[in-house]
Amino acid sequence: MLRIECPCCGLRDHDEFRYGGDASVTRPAHDDPDPEAWYRYVYVRANPAGLHREFWQHVIGCRQWLVVERDTRNHAIASVELARQLSARKSPARKPPA
Amino acid sequence: MASPDFSLSVADCPLIQVEGWDGTLGQFEKSLSTSLDTKLPASVGETVRQKSLLVIRVAPRRLWLALDDGAQAWSLAVDPDLGCSVSLGEGRVRFSMAGAGVAGVISKCIAVDWCAPAAAPGRAVLTSLHHVPVLFLRTGETRCELIVPRSFSQSLSDWIADVAG
Amino acid sequence: MSSNHKRLSMGGRIDREQPVEFTFDGRKLIGYRGDTLASALLANGVTLVGRSFKYHRPRGIFSAGPEEPNALVTLATAGRRQPNLPATTLELADGMVAESQNRWPSLAFDVQSANGLLAPFLSAGFYYKTFMGPTRRAWMFYEHFIRKAAGLGRADTDLDSDRYDISHAFADVAIIGGGPAGLSAARAAAAAGARVALIEQDFLLGGQLLAEPSDSAAAAWLRQAEAELESSEPVTLMKRTTAFGIYDGNVIGLVEQCDPGNPLLAGEARQTFTMLRVRSIVFATGAIERPMVFSNNDRPGVMLASAARTYLNRFAVLPGKKIIVGTGNDGAWRAAFDLADAGAEVTIADVRAAPPTALATEAGRLGVMVRVATRVVDVRRGHAVRRATLNGPDGQSEAACDLVCVSGGWSPTVHLTSHLGVKPEYRDDIGGFVPGAFAADRFGAGSMMGIYSTTDAIEDGHRAGTAAASFCGKSAPVPAPSKLDLGETATVPFREIPSLGRGKAFVDFQMDVTTGDIELAHREGYESVEHLKRYTTLGMGTEQGKTSNFAALAAMAALRNATIPETGATTFRPPYTPVAIGALAGRAIGHHFKPIRRTPMHDWHMANGAEMLEVGLWMRPYFYRQSGLDVNDAYVAEMRNVRQAAGLMDISTLGKIDVQGPDAAIFLDRIYANGFAKLPVGRARYGVMLRDDGIVFDDGTTTRLAENRFFMTTSTAKAADVLSRLEFLLDTAWPDLRVTVTSVSDEWAAMSVAGPKSRAILSAAFPALDVSDAALAHMGLLESEWQGRALRILRLSYSGERAYEIYVGATAGQQLWSRLLEAGGPLDLKPYGVEALGALRVEKGHVAGPEIDGRTTLDDLGLGRMAGKRAGFVGDLLRRRPAFQAPDRQRLVGLECIEEGKRLRGGAILFLPGEKPYGHGRGRVTSVTFSPERGHYVGLALLAGDVASEGSEVVAVYPMKAETVRARIVSPVFLDPQGERLHG
Repeated sequence: MLRIECPCCGLRDHDEFRYGGDASVTRPAHDDPDPEAWYRYVYVRANPAGLHREFWQHVIGCRQWLVVERDTRNHAIASVELARQLSARKSPARKPPA
Repeated sequence: MASPDFSLSVADCPLIQVEGWDGTLGQFEKSLSTSLDTKLPASVGETVRQKSLLVIRVAPRRLWLALDDGAQAWSLAVDPDLGCSVSLGEGRVRFSMAGAGVAGVISKCIAVDWCAPAAAPGRAVLTSLHHVPVLFLRTGETRCELIVPRSFSQSLSDWIADVAG
Repeated sequence: MSSNHKRLSMGGRIDREQPVEFTFDGRKLIGYRGDTLASALLANGVTLVGRSFKYHRPRGIFSAGPEEPNALVTLATAGRRQPNLPATTLELADGMVAESQNRWPSLAFDVQSANGLLAPFLSAGFYYKTFMGPTRRAWMFYEHFIRKAAGLGRADTDLDSDRYDISHAFADVAIIGGGPAGLSAARAAAAAGARVALIEQDFLLGGQLLAEPSDSAAAAWLRQAEAELESSEPVTLMKRTTAFGIYDGNVIGLVEQCDPGNPLLAGEARQTFTMLRVRSIVFATGAIERPMVFSNNDRPGVMLASAARTYLNRFAVLPGKKIIVGTGNDGAWRAAFDLADAGAEVTIADVRAAPPTALATEAGRLGVMVRVATRVVDVRRGHAVRRATLNGPDGQSEAACDLVCVSGGWSPTVHLTSHLGVKPEYRDDIGGFVPGAFAADRFGAGSMMGIYSTTDAIEDGHRAGTAAASFCGKSAPVPAPSKLDLGETATVPFREIPSLGRGKAFVDFQMDVTTGDIELAHREGYESVEHLKRYTTLGMGTEQGKTSNFAALAAMAALRNATIPETGATTFRPPYTPVAIGALAGRAIGHHFKPIRRTPMHDWHMANGAEMLEVGLWMRPYFYRQSGLDVNDAYVAEMRNVRQAAGLMDISTLGKIDVQGPDAAIFLDRIYANGFAKLPVGRARYGVMLRDDGIVFDDGTTTRLAENRFFMTTSTAKAADVLSRLEFLLDTAWPDLRVTVTSVSDEWAAMSVAGPKSRAILSAAFPALDVSDAALAHMGLLESEWQGRALRILRLSYSGERAYEIYVGATAGQQLWSRLLEAGGPLDLKPYGVEALGALRVEKGHVAGPEIDGRTTLDDLGLGRMAGKRAGFVGDLLRRRPAFQAPDRQRLVGLECIEEGKRLRGGAILFLPGEKPYGHGRGRVTSVTFSPERGHYVGLALLAGDVASEGSEVVAVYPMKAETVRARIVSPVFLDPQGERLHG
């Protein structure tokens, strides 16, 4: 049984989580008009034998979406991070209201 | 149901969820802490009791304010620029369990380590009981509570009674 | 013969004060508390215990543990049958009823032992060669007879009357195996400060120490270790518990048998399946003694030497009086000595020319005859051995005997370590496989690592236990282990040679695989171990070849003239020993198979004649028996009542999501294909969500409660998926949006009042509220309170009639439901169920699950205009893919049945008139209903756009019932296309 260390809740059984697909692909901006970018995002996958970045949600728990690095050969988990923290790093921080 | 070793009672569960926006969480928590007149639990799974109110952090920016059953109903104003609140009290049911056999019963219900610090008295654990999301509250050495969705409550209390029987 | 005539008067670990009655094949026998079924049978002189799988050869008790290949029995008591249980692992219990297997009419006289005569036809590969290819049809004919002839115990087809539990457990260190290494590891890990779970399959701790005399130094060591562990706070001793599998995340699957000495209370579990989660594991699983391969080595009376020693010292049973011990290593000599000491006449036949002198001296002292450079080559007689043929330096000779003990060396028990892909590695110095490199959190100790002396195993266990605790950060000082020296000497096992006898020489007793089968497989090219296994069924029995594996590998290696590592080993998979399916299911059976969701009005439905239907996890009213005799009568009646008066429907199952935040409107604008930013406060709008690939995801109604707050509903089925998807987008794609989504599905009881009289009913039920069209227009919202709970009334229609959705706090749901029926009774308000609900929406042409099936686009469903020219919403770009615009793309149409007395069926395939009904056709019928409005069946269908012209005909073919019916293509809106009823 895969067990995932949720950054909020600790080590939990995989049946508390929902798998959310490949986290190594970049989602285009919501208004990106390039069909090619959306095609790559939706369909093109690397399928590595080794470390794979993937989304998991601790759905029966804190409901946070996580980015998990899992080795597809032996299920060893190298890292788990909150997806929100990763995506916030990429997009500019919002200024607190005055 | 009740026996010398295990008892289960079911009650309503007045509950308000509050959540602060990313980026202004500090301000939100400060203002919430002031209006509740208590410090807030720092991390997910921690709880703080304030009179008849139990404050539980259920997610990094989300808190549950659980009122003891029968306590005075109340409402909470949240600055919409800082966060929001939603009432969840109609949709949740509280199971209170006690007795020397409670740890054994719990081990057949949820994958929570009764002896771990994360499940020590005063701690909360969000987990699954028969695939249903529940909030486990450790209330004492041989006592705990489960806050469960109302639609599943009959099915889950049957499950617990079956396991305990 | 007297009962227990093979039992010694003293010694052993049985309680002579507690006799236990049991029956075997109808014979009443007596054993003692502390016996296994096998030891009790041996004590009573029962040596013939079963018949073999294929050849129906007589078989006895071969081992004293879970590796037993022969002595499989069925336990049969009132209401339960458990087949294929090894008698060697069954703790004897009062009233136990055991039966032998695979014999007819009786164990002693079995007609199919003639299979032995047909043996040439039942060799490896026989089925494949005989029944594949052109003769395959013959298999169909013979299968029944063959299956009846070959096989094991018979399973029960009745419901299992036993209860099982599933339990969750946690520890720092799991120690698997309670022998000297495991006990030592547990003491060390506990002393270091770790929480320890010690797992032992037997009902006694000790492992091989239990084969030592009960008054020996070993027994004293064991007593002390057990007492220490029992009083140690952080140690959980799990006896009668088998670790059957090791899984990712250091999760160990355990099955614990209840103590048969304590009768089960009502509802108590016979077995408990425990998922044990730990941080590190010590494998101290021991080793299994190997048989020797010679002619007729499967006969009752041939037994592993260590098993004979166990029966003697643990169970006080002397299994033979005139014993030959065949071996090639020192260990079996200890068995010979103990047996001689107990009064048996013992001859050792050792294949070595010069066994250690110390052993020879001791043999001389005990009067044990020793024959060196000698091996057993054959045994005689069917049901119990009477003589053995020995081959020595002076040629062959026969010796009378009633027991032949064998020891072909030892195989470390590497099954569990293999479960996570650790390949066993061959070690020449011990002549066996040990686990390959362990991960940092796994440790091996004792004989499973090839460390066979007790002294060394205790040291090794101590080291492993200390290291395993240290891995968990528990490093308190650990005192040195208490020593125990049994004076064993390590020896390298000898290599088998081909059988010299003329009879069958078995390598896999349970699957009846002989050296001849291995030779045949080799001759026919099945040389790789994986092919060998499948061709001969080697190791595929219930014990997974625990005793057979090595002998077979060695035989194949010899035939290939290869080394054993070159030949390789097969892969072991869970479970280590068979696990009852019931244990894996635990309490999740019957009505607990899955959790059930009940709406707040559930009890009312049950009390008022509702026939309930499971929809996902929800229980929903299917129809009400007061409406009609069966569902077909009832739903039409319920539909008519909605169209003519009004109906009340429980819609609490709808997914409900609270959407809040300063950016909520922007968020909704992105996730719905149609716009929401401009929706005024107090108004509702129907919305459709797409997936990223442009396919429709879900639909529902979202209402703006305030500037920053919306109330979203989703379909019942997709509620959880939609919420997760919204959270995904907020966490990963748009973390800058200040929005939060929360499921409030359980928060609200929801009911729909639909029909021309619905407004009047609302007026009657809520006299204080203004529900006039001016105050509450179509798609409008009214918020209030009822009995102290929040109340929301939305004017929405699914049926096509004027209708209101009423939401109230869940705790007041049943009360409000009753209030509405009371107020609406004089206006003919009646409840209706999901069948009528579905029929009403089909008549109105609304799409639902059967149409939003994960393959259809907005355009397919005729909803393309909802998106219009909007851009920037999820699925926008890919929904415009050229393939989705193909002229033969299947689109939503309406169908009406045009043949008198016939009906449409959901799932029917559509063809053009005159077309041969073959293949996938031009489309399919998705939803149907009888339409009281139209007076015939109508349906929704997805039909190729290039043939879907309104007014033309198609043929709906339903092969399941061999039905063909003509239908006309029409608009999917069968009722009130202008929508006048909504306002009527």
